[in-house]
Formats: sequence, structure tokens, C-alpha cells
Amino acid sequence: MKTKLLEVKDLKVVFHLDGRVIPAVNGVNLDIAADEILVLAGESGSGKTVSALAITRLLPANAKIISGQAMFLGQDLLKSDAEALRAIRGKEIAYMFQEPTAYLNPVYTVGEQISEAIMLHQSKAGKEARHAVLELLELVRIKEPQRVIDDYPHQLSGGMNQRIFIAMALACKPKLLISDEPTTSLDVTIEAQILDLLVDLKENLGFSLLFITHNLSIARRIADRVLVMYRGRIVEEAGREAIFNSPRHSHTKELIAAYHKIGRIGDGSIFQSKIVLEK
Amino acid sequence: MKHNKPLFFGTLIIAVLGVIALSAPLISPYDPTAINQANLLMPPSGRHLLGTDGLGRDILSRMIYGARISLSIGIIAVGIAILVGVFFGSIAGFYGGIADSIIMRFVDIMFCFPAFFLILTVVAILEPSIYNIMAIIGLTSWMGTARLIRAEILSLKEREFIQAEVALGVSHARIIIRHLIPNAIGPVLVSGILGIAGAILLESGLSFLGLGVQPPTPSWGNILIEAKSTLGVAWWITLFPGLAILVTVLGFNLIGEGLKKKIGR
Repeated sequence: MKTKLLEVKDLKVVFHLDGRVIPAVNGVNLDIAADEILVLAGESGSGKTVSALAITRLLPANAKIISGQAMFLGQDLLKSDAEALRAIRGKEIAYMFQEPTAYLNPVYTVGEQISEAIMLHQSKAGKEARHAVLELLELVRIKEPQRVIDDYPHQLSGGMNQRIFIAMALACKPKLLISDEPTTSLDVTIEAQILDLLVDLKENLGFSLLFITHNLSIARRIADRVLVMYRGRIVEEAGREAIFNSPRHSHTKELIAAYHKIGRIGDGSIFQSKIVLEK
Repeated sequence: MKHNKPLFFGTLIIAVLGVIALSAPLISPYDPTAINQANLLMPPSGRHLLGTDGLGRDILSRMIYGARISLSIGIIAVGIAILVGVFFGSIAGFYGGIADSIIMRFVDIMFCFPAFFLILTVVAILEPSIYNIMAIIGLTSWMGTARLIRAEILSLKEREFIQAEVALGVSHARIIIRHLIPNAIGPVLVSGILGIAGAILLESGLSFLGLGVQPPTPSWGNILIEAKSTLGVAWWITLFPGLAILVTVLGFNLIGEGLKKKIGR
């Protein structure tokens, strides 16, 4: 029985907009074990990103967590104060966003930004830090790390920047990496590379991955377990094969059907037929 | 490749000025405070290129040292203004709420004072010295910078990379100092360059009124004190300091224009 790394119970989040209260997450339970890849799937607006932001307390000011518990390493994240959260962020839980270039500071080189992550959570400086940055760049499979380390985000492609972001996220060897649609803005061949990279890194470095996506075929490719969200609730939870072979909830079936129609597979080829079974 | 004419000429002027100011002891033909009773009020000549004043002091030498004084007062005063302005503006912009309200009302109040008269009052109470002048000009001209920085930070705060920094566990102070301010500082630098010109004008005005740099230390403003009474007989005492102030302010304004063109605002 694997130990549970993160246990979320009955999470409810609402937004206050123009005086109205809009529910976004309506009682979500989820847990992730150590060393597990959990895919949180659902259409836009289903509440998956809001759930992840709530757990890490990165919600905007007009969002309120009205109930719930998120136990991580013995702490309830939803009740932790700013100091406790800062100690966890980056170090134990790292967060990856959708459009990497926008999430990097435009006036510093990527090397400087990864250095900052390193200096913040490990006590390295100067030459040592630069060395560590180069190692990380190699880890995320960037060719020519010596050149890239001094480039600015706007000089690099989206795929490269996402690798930079992965490097920053892993600089501190977190126990949990939350990836929020990290490949949605990338083209499909790069997407496949990034997915493979994440899975390999997870195997080698031993962290858990919470992967948020609206694309079920990604789940097919990398998940241990899949949670399907619809309108703020978890509607189905199953292992990878079970979700595709025997989906039970109608929404899960809709999501799968949507990918039947277009037939997208991780390698980018487009069919007008059923999903081809992998492995 | 300076196809940016204002920036080119402005930088040229100020660079020349800077070199003159820095090398004052080397290039100044005479000691600027050396009194020479035999040569009172001499017009420009081979020996005194810009003439002499009522105490026989060489105007050219006084102008060269005056450049030093005026330039350093201008730069340091603006430096103080930027430090104070960035401090208040970034706190107001980042934290919002009560801090923002209090700071911005304070800025509004400071704006209500006519700066020149405020400075006059303070200088009249304290003794006029170079350091007092620098501090006073700086402490009365930081408000524009504060508003600029606050505006920039208000919009930058919402940018995605700041959210990523928070997710990384970076402290507020570090976010403000290392991430927000470097991204916000552009307009402040432009305004700072223009501010140096303003500070120089302010100092010249104060010195002219006798409340700034005190003789015998030369300043373009205090050379002009004598100009008032000798205008009919010694035009050179009026012309040269006036020209110097004009060209200097022009130089800084050209740089400011050029920078605005460059960053496209």
C-alpha cells in the first residue's frame, strides 16, 4: 500500500464576481501517492486548474476556499500561513504553468532564473550554482546548454522554455510536481518529447506528478490513474486502462468520443477511426 | 549607429560636459578662487578666454569648476529622488490597500507645495550648503517617480511570471526588488534624466538668489549674482553661465527625447 503524499478532502472553491457567488469546485476528493502520475482531466471550466491552485494557495484574490482539507506531509495546506506556504512552495511542491514564455521574467537570462531557484532552495552560489544550472539543462535534454544558459526567454522557443521551466521546478527536488496543461500551447511533436521527458524524470528523480489536461490521449500515454472532472466535481476515477476500456460516466465517454472523432495520438498523426491501443 | 539624432547629440553634449567636469583640475587655466586685483572685469582675451569677474577671478576656470558642482548636485539630487520615489511607489503599488492610500495621499500633499518656495523656506532655515541642496531638491522631487513606479507595478503584478515567482516560494521583498523594479524602471530612468536638467535649473536659481552654493565655491548660478549689477559693462559674466545652463539643460532634454523614441513611448 503506497503512502499518500497528498490527500484532498471535500474541497470547495467559489468565485466572487460582480457581487455574485459562482461555485467552481464542488466537493473534490483526490489523493496522490508517492511516485505516482495522476492525470486530472476535464473540459475547460470543469475546475481542474482551480483545484490545483487552491491546493497550492495560488488563487486570485476574488476566489475563496470555503471548505476542505489538503493534507501534505502532515500539514493542512488550506490552513497554512504564509511562512509555512513559502517553505513548501518550490521546495516540496512545484507548479508548472501553461505558457512557459509568459511565466518567465523577460529581463533576466534563463540561466539567471534557474540560478535563483537553486540559490533559493539549496545553498549554492556563483560558480557552483552555474554548474548546477548546466547540469539541470542537460537533465531536461537541452542541446547546447552552454549557449542557452545566457539566452533570454524571448530568444527561445516555447518548447525550450517549457524545459527551462521544468529545470526550475526540479531545481529544488520537489516531492510533487503539478503541471497545468504544460503542453497545450506547444506543437504535437514537442508535446510528445516533453511528456516523455516528464515521465523519465519522474522515474529517475522519484517525484509524484499531478498532470492537468483536457486531452485524454495524454492520460492514455502517461497516467497511472485518471480523475475526470466535470462541473466542479470528480465524476470518474480509474486506472489508465479501465478509463479507456470501460468508461462509466457519460462525460468520460464524451471526452473519449471527442478524441475518437479527431483521433489525436501523442505522435501527432490524425485518424478518423477509433483510438489505437498503445502498447 | 545613432540614427536617433536627439539621443546622439544629447549624449555628445553631456559627455563633453562630463569630461570637463571630471577633469576640472587638469584643464582649468587658473585657480577659480584666485583673486587678482589687477585684472578686474576684463573682457575675454588671450589670457582670460571668458574674461574675469569683479574680483579678478577667471571666468573660464569658475565655469569649469561650476560644471562639476552643478552636475554633481543634479545627479545626486535625482538619485535621492529616485530612491525615495521607487521605495514609496513600489510599496504602494505592490501592497495596495491602506498602504497605497496613505502613500498616495502623502504624494498628493507633497505635490501641493510649490517646490521652489518649499526649498527656499527650508534653505533659509538651514544653512545653505551643497549637501543640503542635494538633499532638499531630492526630497521634493520624488513624487513623480513614485506615481510612475506604482503604475508600472500595478500592471506588472498581474503578469504571469510574477505568479510563477510566488509559486516558487520567492519572498515579497525579493519579488519587488529583483523582479518588479527592473521591469518597471524604464520610464523612471527617462524621467530621471529629465530630472537632472530640472535639478540643475533649480540649483542655479537658488544659487542666484544666494541660497544655494555659496561663493567662493563657483556655481553657474552664483556667477550670475554679479551679472545683475554688471550687465551693462561686463556682458561676458551674464552670457557664459547663461549659455552653459542652456546647453546643459538642452543636452539632458535631448537625451530624454532620444530615450523616449527608443523605448517607443
